[in-house]
Amino acid sequence: MTVVDLMSEAKMNVELRSKAIEKGRYELYNCFQCMRCTSGCTSMKLLELKPHQVVTMVKLGLIDELITSGIIWTCAMCLKCTERCPQDAAPSDLITALRNLAFDMEANVPEAYLKVVSTVLEVGLIQEEQKVTSRDFEVYDRGQLNLPKISKPGEIFKNNLLILLTPEED
Amino acid sequence: MEIGVYWGCMILTSQYAYEMSLREVLPKFGISITDIDQVSCCGTPIKNVNQKAAIYLAVRNLALAEKAGINELLVPCNGCYLSFSEALHYWEKDDTLKRELGSLLAEEGLEFNGNIKLWHTVNFLHDKIGTEKIKTAVKKPLNGFKFVTHPGCHILRPSTIVNVDEPEKPRKLDNLLKALGAESIDYPEKLDCCGGGLLLSHSESALTIAGLKLKAIKSLNVDGLVVSCPSCKVMLGAKQEAVGAIVGEKFEIPVLYYTQLLGLALGIEAEKLGLHLNQSPVDKIIEKLT
Ligand code: SF4
Ligand code: SF4
Repeated sequence: MTVVDLMSEAKMNVELRSKAIEKGRYELYNCFQCMRCTSGCTSMKLLELKPHQVVTMVKLGLIDELITSGIIWTCAMCLKCTERCPQDAAPSDLITALRNLAFDMEANVPEAYLKVVSTVLEVGLIQEEQKVTSRDFEVYDRGQLNLPKISKPGEIFKNNLLILLTPEED
Repeated sequence: MEIGVYWGCMILTSQYAYEMSLREVLPKFGISITDIDQVSCCGTPIKNVNQKAAIYLAVRNLALAEKAGINELLVPCNGCYLSFSEALHYWEKDDTLKRELGSLLAEEGLEFNGNIKLWHTVNFLHDKIGTEKIKTAVKKPLNGFKFVTHPGCHILRPSTIVNVDEPEKPRKLDNLLKALGAESIDYPEKLDCCGGGLLLSHSESALTIAGLKLKAIKSLNVDGLVVSCPSCKVMLGAKQEAVGAIVGEKFEIPVLYYTQLLGLALGIEAEKLGLHLNQSPVDKIIEKLT
């Protein structure tokens, strides 16, 4: 996966750029393109993610390209880039901010992420309590393993979460 | 002493062996566990779509812990540990956030004061209990065993927010293994990610990343791989067969939580530590030990 052909399509989008930047806590303009982030990036080998390129593209305001190409969802969130960046540009935080922006814009968010969100809204947890199978193919639930019952959050929690997840009108 | 535990979704709903083994080993060091009611997801998966909502989830859980009288909280999952550490970090800095989320918490009669110390399994055992105490408690030393460790990303990075261990040279899990009499081998891929963060969007790549790590570990001929995060455990342990199919290898590497190994060394029965639930071939270790 890689970004689209910038020569033919890309236009700077200043408004989206400020939205992306305002969602984060990074020193974007400090980046001097040393590529230390990319050199250790978990997703570079298999998915061609280049965090230094993401930083530059945001600086240039090419936000639509980052969002529509789906490249922001190739990050494994190993956080090596942010740990190692000598300039506090925090590429992984920037990618998170772009993902948040994509969600607000309802643009190209992988289905599985949306599904987790709706499960958390419904159950409070990422999934219902599961039965597990041992290596001898015996099936167990929490009770059979002498683990205490789970108590889940209530309606106020769900409402509050829903309010926070609803994009603000501007 | 008493310690609060926030287990997190993965442990509460499927990674039962981590919970079982912690509930078995902590009392051996005079520590009793306080559970917290009505907890939710820690915020990690929500952070991808809305960071503020993720912080709400985190501080709500922490507020529930405070309400239960907990001021030291053990968070055994790496992802939850990072989520809470991040939330604490931003909570302290951002008064607007405090006000906004504070009023949402108030609707449930909750209040968060930020007076909570977070521990992860690794630094709790290493720094709070201490390797010396562990060494003395060992009944069945793991002499002759060789392991590798996988500390996992989110208790190490970013070190401005989490500081369980040295970010580029983590040693605590290795020291903890040595305290049991086992040897811990260093390997170049130690800091490599398990791939878990890609499972939702690019599952094949996620499995390949796990496969590259397992390939490296296979070539070392060790007795097993020791982890301290439920997500890493699933990627490198439970999914071993699927991972092998993707990278064209057959893996038979036992993968265990450190707390399970600690339990064995303390003389606790394998079944009580949930070792029958590990999907990787841990029998080799249990047999070698008895
Ligand atoms: S983001 Fe940081 S590490 Fe990456 S190129 Fe820029 S300065 Fe270098
Ligand atoms: S956090 Fe994402 S962008 Fe940064 S190094 Fe890891 S995979 Fe690459």
